[in-house]
Amino acid sequence: MSTQALGTVEEQDRRSQALARRKLIIGRVLTYATLTVAVLLVAFPIYWMIITSLKLPREIYRVPSLWPKVFTLDNYEKLLADGGFLLALRNSFIVATVVTIVSVVISSFAAYSMVRFRYRFRGFIGRIILFAYLTPASLLFIPISIVMAQLRLGNSLVGLILVYLTFSLPLSTWLLQGYFRGIPRELEEQGLIDGHSRLGALVRIVLPLSAPGLAAVAIFTFTGAWNELLFALVLITSESQRTAPLALNYLITSDVLPWGPLMAGAVISSVPLMILYFIAQRFMVAGMTAGSVKG
Amino acid sequence: MADLNAHAGERQNRAAAMRLNLFAYALVIPVTLLIIGLVGYPFFFAIWVSFTDQVIGNVGKFIGFTNFAYLAGTSTFWAAIQNTVVIVVVTDILKLGIGLGLALLVHQHFPARGIFRSILLLPWAMPAFVAFLTWRVMYQPIGGRINLILTQTGLYPHVVDWLGQRHTAMGSVIVASVWRGFPFWFIPILVQLYSVPEEFYDAARADGANPWQRFRGVTLPGIKQVIIVPTLLSSIWTANAFEHVWLLTQGGPSDATMVFPVLAYFGMQTQRIGEAAAVSVYMLPALGILVIFATALMMRDDEQ
Amino acid sequence: MTDKTTSGAGWSRRRVLTTAASGVALAAASGFPMPAVAQARKLTYWGGLIFSEDANNLLVEAINAWGAANGVETEVVMINQNETTQKVSAAVASNTMPDALDVGLDLMLLLARQNQFILLDDVYNKVGDAHGGWYDGPARATDTTSEVGGRVGVPFGVNGNLLLRRRDLLEPAGFTEAPKTWAELAEQAAAVNAPPVYGLGLALSNVGDANVQVNVMQSYGGRIADDEGKKILLDSAETREWLTWLKGAWDKGLFPPGVTTWDGAGDNQAYLSGQAAFIANTGSVGIAARNDDPELFEGSAFSPLPAGPKGTISPITPQSRVITTGSQMQDEAKALVEHLSNPEFMNAYFNVAIYGPVLKNQEQLQAFDGSNSILVGLLGLAQNGTAPAYPDVYNAAYADFSSNFTVPKLAQRVVVDGWDFDRAIAEAVEQGQAIYNKY
Repeated sequence: MSTQALGTVEEQDRRSQALARRKLIIGRVLTYATLTVAVLLVAFPIYWMIITSLKLPREIYRVPSLWPKVFTLDNYEKLLADGGFLLALRNSFIVATVVTIVSVVISSFAAYSMVRFRYRFRGFIGRIILFAYLTPASLLFIPISIVMAQLRLGNSLVGLILVYLTFSLPLSTWLLQGYFRGIPRELEEQGLIDGHSRLGALVRIVLPLSAPGLAAVAIFTFTGAWNELLFALVLITSESQRTAPLALNYLITSDVLPWGPLMAGAVISSVPLMILYFIAQRFMVAGMTAGSVKG
Repeated sequence: MADLNAHAGERQNRAAAMRLNLFAYALVIPVTLLIIGLVGYPFFFAIWVSFTDQVIGNVGKFIGFTNFAYLAGTSTFWAAIQNTVVIVVVTDILKLGIGLGLALLVHQHFPARGIFRSILLLPWAMPAFVAFLTWRVMYQPIGGRINLILTQTGLYPHVVDWLGQRHTAMGSVIVASVWRGFPFWFIPILVQLYSVPEEFYDAARADGANPWQRFRGVTLPGIKQVIIVPTLLSSIWTANAFEHVWLLTQGGPSDATMVFPVLAYFGMQTQRIGEAAAVSVYMLPALGILVIFATALMMRDDEQ
Repeated sequence: MTDKTTSGAGWSRRRVLTTAASGVALAAASGFPMPAVAQARKLTYWGGLIFSEDANNLLVEAINAWGAANGVETEVVMINQNETTQKVSAAVASNTMPDALDVGLDLMLLLARQNQFILLDDVYNKVGDAHGGWYDGPARATDTTSEVGGRVGVPFGVNGNLLLRRRDLLEPAGFTEAPKTWAELAEQAAAVNAPPVYGLGLALSNVGDANVQVNVMQSYGGRIADDEGKKILLDSAETREWLTWLKGAWDKGLFPPGVTTWDGAGDNQAYLSGQAAFIANTGSVGIAARNDDPELFEGSAFSPLPAGPKGTISPITPQSRVITTGSQMQDEAKALVEHLSNPEFMNAYFNVAIYGPVLKNQEQLQAFDGSNSILVGLLGLAQNGTAPAYPDVYNAAYADFSSNFTVPKLAQRVVVDGWDFDRAIAEAVEQGQAIYNKY
């Protein structure tokens, strides 16, 4: 055909390159724009929480606005002054960390077992553990408090840890199953041939490759244990054993809500979680280490 | 000679298989014991109690289906069925859509995506009651943030009673619930996206596939596998969740947002645990079927 | 929390200790002998957490001081009143109830029927005799003799709803006196109703506040059930009168938007944000305003609930101290309960809490001398208030009926769904009778 109509090959190239670049830029702009909107929508309530925590009570009620007229750290001071809240944070930290670690370990074993092996009760066990979620907590707390009382674990962090484990394990197990399934058997076979035991293969090969899955499980478990309220409320009686959500809940003593201190407490209590999320999401994108797939 | 060797070989195989089996069982024992021990009793207790007239602290008499009949006779109950189903289905779909969309967006390479990712997890970083109390205040007709923004920017100059009107109440609850719950979908999907090796996409691109075809061929299959768990668990949890409705509307106005857990709560307030349990038992069959179906789906793929 | 010195109460650690010491003397004199041997067991007390931090601390200190002075190891746990039912349910089910606790009327009656509390007639009579006798209201309300053969609770305070109004908005409109009837209330509310300020901040949602509508209905002559407490009598002309009043006010736009889904804090928030001119409140808003928004407090006033054509229904709910049957330290607990009724402690407590008096002599306490408008209102409530549920019978069915918010539901059907009175009443009668039939 006549080259004149289409231009030279270089011109074609340049045009298609320019087109591609424009598409890329448009794509980028769209992505950023959508993401910004999404982040704004998601973060807006958080923003309100933060500025409320920086306002005086009178202003919170009388002057609803998007920016505090008077900044104050009163709410934070009040909250941190009596030390009870810090103690509650520490308790939450202990409980959440223990639950997460134990949960990750136990559920890794269980998930591995349910994915790699065939045995008679595999399906049954898998389903049974999910039945933990079928009864709502607003009913379950009665029999569980009976059980805890009989085990003499009422009003203790250990009791809470046990209860939270019960509710985090099914989720962790099933999530990890999904990730373990995605890891090719050949890698473990390779490990076995190399002389590892089954357990060693699990620990040395499967777990590192599932780092993203483990990170996700850690996020879920820690968050769940950190933020749980109902069982803490029912099982914990002494002030010294309170967890952070419980301490926050105790700020609400009657029908007047102390928004300032409550929001301040919520902000403080969310900081450890944010730190965890930031660390964990690095692991989430670790992905399969390059080279392991290519034999 | 050969026979003996063969037998020895077989015995070794069987022994090895048994060891393997034991090992497999050993790995699941802790989970199973803990769950059965701590949840088994409450679970059967709840079922048993629903057939009695038990008031807390006393022994209850067996009364058969009386609790169930009483509940089914109230209009509140039927409203609860409808609303619970609506909330579960709609929030699931929205959370899936938003989780998937955001995951795809964040999956791309661009600077500061770590910060974006962390911010998107914020709705989770607080106890549920704080989240929903915050939304309640935001929904306040006068002085609530949402109405403030609408009126001040001129988008909609009238005050809207989001929670107090029948036609906006459910939607408002759903929005708050989705806000709170989408990270639960966002994370597994994101992890799944990152676990697909870049080479697959390169290969698809080399084959001339456009973005939509790449999505369908490379991304989607992995995601289908990974969303079963969030779907199942999110559905169960939403069905059983109490705070998102209670803190926003208490089931009103006029039962517009009444759901089963709130109904159970009313029973508990008068200590009539039999009644409260009956509410939950009504939900069990549906949830149980969901569990069986979803787990079958997940495990079926194992057989390949 | 910053320490707020209480005006005129003048309590201090020394005074509390001396009171404790005199408590011992009193106990010895009155015949509740303290066990000679020092107790190794602990007396656990669950106090009701109320809005006033000072009041909570007072209670804890008083109990601990008494324990120290009497050689009894005490542990006081303050329980959030919003979650008392859950906590108590779990404790009852798992047998971990404390030795003694504060309970509201509902829970006290509920658990008394299940024989969770010991009889305290002796303590009740002693305290009554020592302080001029009990007020009628609390006395009758807490009388569990017919149900369990004796009294289980020793009241220590009453609370109930007062009408809180924005004096600073009403006086310029020409209303210097509190409204005496519901009709007047609607009139005054309409006069100042100018969005974003609304006249009638009365909840109509599934929340305890909304059960005030039951009182409105009763003041029009309506009844929930008959005198036996068995048959629902909601379908009546009086009920329709009440609904007419309600619908009329609603149609005039007197209710702030949101009342149909307010939570327990809804009316308070409306008042504190200046959105409501009238609310029904126990006094917590008064305290909050006094602390955080003095300007608003100055512009407010308390008055009793308005009357209907058939009279005033202004329920007072007594808070009582009870002792559990599982307690190993019943004698000590009895002594403690008696001790806590002493005037020194109660005066200090009343000054910072939002309870009215229960004993006739408490009228003379400094707390009720008139300088505190909230307490004056509560005093009036204690003297003139009606028994809870009056004129209905306060039985288990009534409590269940209230917990299900049947009457607020009725109101919601009328104002939200626009049902006509007959249809809405018919549904409420059906629901109500189903509940009553359970008992």
